[in-house]
Amino acid sequence: MTALNNNKNSRVTDSNKVSFIFDGKKYFGFDGDTIASALLRNNIKIIGRSFKYHRPRGIYTCGIEEPNALVQILSEKDEPNTRATVKKIYSGIKILSQNRWPSLKNDFGYINNLLSPIFSAGFYYKTFMGPKGFWKNIYEPLIRRSAGLGKPPKEFRSKSIHHHHNVDIVIVGAGLNGLLAASKFIDTDYDVLILEQDNILGGSLNSSQKIKTIDNLDTHVWTKKTEDLLKKSKNIKILKNTLATSYNQINHIIALEDNSVGKPLASHKPELILHKIRTKHTILSNGHIERLISFRNNDLPGIMLAGSFEKYIFRYGVIPEAEPIIFTNNSSTFSLLKSLVDLGCKPKAYIDVRDESSIEKKTKTILKTNKIPFYFSSEIEGCDGNKKLETISIRNKEKQIEKISGTMLCISGGINPDVHLFTQSKGLIKWDEKYLTFKPETAFQNTITIGSANGSFNFKRIIEEINEKLSLFNINELKIDLEIDCPEDLNIMELWETNNEKKSFWSKSFIDIQNDVTTKDLHQAVSEGFDRIEHLKRFTTNSMGTDQGKISSINSLGIVSKILKKNISEVGTTIYRPPYAPLSFSAIAGRSTYEFYDPTRKTSIHSWHVKNRAIFEDVGQWKRPWYFKKNDKETMYEAVQRESKELRNAAGILDGSTLGKIEIKGKDALEFVNLIYTNAFTKMKPMTARYALMLGEDGMIKDDGIVCKINDQHFIVTTTTGGAAKVLSDMEEYAQTEWPHLNVYLNSITEQFSTFNISGPKSRAIMRKVFSDVDFSNDKFPFMSFKKVNYLDTEVRILRASFTGELGYEVYVTPKYGLELWEKFFRYGENLGLIPYGTETMHLLRAEKGYIVVGQDTDGTVTPLDLNLNWMIGKNKKDFIGKRSLSRSDTSRKGRKQLVGILAVDKSKIIEEGQHVVKSSSIPSKIKFPVKYLGHITSSYHSPTLNHYIAMAMVEGGNDLIGKKLYVTQNKSSENISVEIVKPVFLDPENKRLLS
Amino acid sequence: MLVINCPYCGERDQSEFSNGGEAHVARPKNPETLDDKKWSEYVFIRLNPKGIFNERWVHTHGCRKWFNAIRNTSTDEILKVYKLNEEPPSIGEFDTTLKTPSGEPDLGSGNFTVKK
Repeated sequence: MTALNNNKNSRVTDSNKVSFIFDGKKYFGFDGDTIASALLRNNIKIIGRSFKYHRPRGIYTCGIEEPNALVQILSEKDEPNTRATVKKIYSGIKILSQNRWPSLKNDFGYINNLLSPIFSAGFYYKTFMGPKGFWKNIYEPLIRRSAGLGKPPKEFRSKSIHHHHNVDIVIVGAGLNGLLAASKFIDTDYDVLILEQDNILGGSLNSSQKIKTIDNLDTHVWTKKTEDLLKKSKNIKILKNTLATSYNQINHIIALEDNSVGKPLASHKPELILHKIRTKHTILSNGHIERLISFRNNDLPGIMLAGSFEKYIFRYGVIPEAEPIIFTNNSSTFSLLKSLVDLGCKPKAYIDVRDESSIEKKTKTILKTNKIPFYFSSEIEGCDGNKKLETISIRNKEKQIEKISGTMLCISGGINPDVHLFTQSKGLIKWDEKYLTFKPETAFQNTITIGSANGSFNFKRIIEEINEKLSLFNINELKIDLEIDCPEDLNIMELWETNNEKKSFWSKSFIDIQNDVTTKDLHQAVSEGFDRIEHLKRFTTNSMGTDQGKISSINSLGIVSKILKKNISEVGTTIYRPPYAPLSFSAIAGRSTYEFYDPTRKTSIHSWHVKNRAIFEDVGQWKRPWYFKKNDKETMYEAVQRESKELRNAAGILDGSTLGKIEIKGKDALEFVNLIYTNAFTKMKPMTARYALMLGEDGMIKDDGIVCKINDQHFIVTTTTGGAAKVLSDMEEYAQTEWPHLNVYLNSITEQFSTFNISGPKSRAIMRKVFSDVDFSNDKFPFMSFKKVNYLDTEVRILRASFTGELGYEVYVTPKYGLELWEKFFRYGENLGLIPYGTETMHLLRAEKGYIVVGQDTDGTVTPLDLNLNWMIGKNKKDFIGKRSLSRSDTSRKGRKQLVGILAVDKSKIIEEGQHVVKSSSIPSKIKFPVKYLGHITSSYHSPTLNHYIAMAMVEGGNDLIGKKLYVTQNKSSENISVEIVKPVFLDPENKRLLS
Repeated sequence: MLVINCPYCGERDQSEFSNGGEAHVARPKNPETLDDKKWSEYVFIRLNPKGIFNERWVHTHGCRKWFNAIRNTSTDEILKVYKLNEEPPSIGEFDTTLKTPSGEPDLGSGNFTVKK
């Protein structure tokens, strides 16, 4: 049989034809159709292959709960796993079916179905245990190819934005209950936001005829009228195409708006809008979801949930089949039966598990007058057919199997309130024995559940419930007449699974259709000990995937409770976690992508660096020149060797603007600095500087820098580039929490100064040229002192300090003149051999001198004593952060790792950073004989000045090993390098260059 | 995301704040007089209770001020915020507040979304 159009009373009419392409073929649908409704209109029943067994699958539902009908949208950057039951078509949309090869009709992976007896629950866990290496190289690629959903898109959908809302009331779902609740707030003082996932309001009013009239108006007319009233009311905002996906703490709701429903993606507009809503009260009227019944081959294309079938008729105007068979265990299918008969269609059979007496009189009357074959106290044993439904086996009230042919089967296993959002909000749910489902019981937040979302399936009580539950808002009572054309209350009989007649290895009755989980898998999982529902879920993959078992998770609880002979409430549910439905990463990312993800910080000299072929390194958010290429061919190694050599021969200049700078002022600044840093500052003369260490309370080195003392009430300290923000935060924390009695003010001045480090034997000569009126002689400008110098209309601070071991100066200038001064250095310095150098050269040069880099040579487990920096500790100070920890039993014990220098005995050998220092000359081939780790290489460079590799290492008891021989491992060889342990100073130990 | 009432700025989203762990762990006045055990208790040991907890917060992306809060770690409800120089409120004040979300047992971390 073929599909018919319902033009009489549906929300989609045949006025605007739309063409679309599915698997390369052109079809026509109508404006407003989803992919699913358009395909049904074209009599396409198979639209994908299943996850594991590659069984042909059709359209099972008519909404967000769809387990099967997932497609890839080629015209939208290959967006995969799109629900065909939600996605609206538009002219030119290109759709591809998923998980099949070479075609939907003939899929090679169907072999998995034949092999299915071995693919039972836990198959992957049990089977692919070895041999070693097989998983990565053979099993995983194979499984990845055959199992799964759509292919990942080639391009990232990036256009989404975030909106923030602060409101009094959010109403989730604008169906009958949502609209009634919302209408109470018209022209009140409450700020109301209505979220509706569909592009029209009305919910189930659009998808069935259960409610005939409201206040004597046709439901369509009433919905329109109510929408107009809501729109006119200034305190109410309606968001359509918006799905509430998360309900977080403190009434924080995340909702995703699809901004391109029924039209192609616009290049200039955001495709998705993520709404972040903070509300005082939430009204959940998000309705219910119908569930399935498990029987043999209950996944064949042609089987659909009854409520969904009815929704296709009224919401989308397509009757997928004029003579479907209906199978139910409850009274809700009356409405489908009635609708079909009213439209002149005649169901082929009506099968109800309930006995004749409990089936509603209305139902029986319709069946009788229309002479529809009626099976009460009966169930469907199973279905058969080649890639589609062909025959249905009914076990009638005499327990005999009767076979009838049919191409469409509508099933209803009952209805569940959609408690997903409610449980996300940490509300408690309770099993309801009458309706056989979990209902909201105790709300944790200011949450009100109404209508079927509350498990209120009695139509008579709708108005009463709303008035009662919203009474706390002190608003007008609703007085509305509903004319109902269906059984007033829900009557249901328990049925989760029907018995299989043939107990074959290949017969399957599915519980989770998307993940190909059968009821047999549940039995197996329980028998293997996975009887806790959370374990069972992971072991069988039941209720996972894009649909999260929306139509089947309660059924699996029912089946498991039967196996365990427990009540369902004892079995419990798995935890419902956000999001309610899959949310694309681009929606979460919003505008925070690519260059907007994290700000990039550039120094005032950046443009010069770019012009001079700098290669940049990211340090925190900063761009720092890593090295400067002399020409395009020069490698990094060559550049660093050249820069190092030229600096030691003449002079180099480094852009150090990124170093953190903090100004400390106040009456008690001296005491504060004394407490923060290890060094003693009291006797330090004004206008001098000191290399200083900062520890944590555990005694471990946290940061280092230079402390400049202007006077006892005014200090300027530098921090590492990456540590700047943390150091300021830590200082603020201590100032506020531990020493509030100290009068200190802290201020970050990192970006207020551009900083240059000029160093090398020619640096004094260059400084003299640039600052001609300053005396740079050793007497007048000794090491670790600083001066303030006038420059143009500003003041420049010059500090004599060095991180390279050469004579050196640091210049601090306002960024306004940064570039100008930098260029001036080159105008005066170029003929003296001044070169720019980057961070890599800086690291090499400091290693030659044995200066540490916090975070490279230290790792948060290193005390100053481990680095032999005892001289930096103000032992006479009563207290500083971490002082007490330096004498803890662990920090003062013998055999701690200490900083040493490492030189290869054969000077031509390359020592790699991160390699282990060991005692043996080679690594044994078998892991049975482990080699004791003594320490590891923290820094290693080829020194162009010494012409061999130099390395630093943290080695156990290192101080006692000076002069001894040990070994260092290699990356690509089991032979170790013979090395000598030396003091970690490789160049100029007398500091002649530094103090020259 | 929580809403935190900064005592200096008012209600702001949690993303503006950083948590500083247990409150009222004062740095010892004379660390050198403490033995290793006492000192390590200050450096390393912090409470992490299920239930009422006095903890520190800092309005990092705001006024940068530290303050204290009383939070029920089980319900994530912030019951009170107070400035550093203010006395902590007595715990008895919160006896009547909700112990756990929706009233499940206050011990353990099992799945209690279903009411028995």
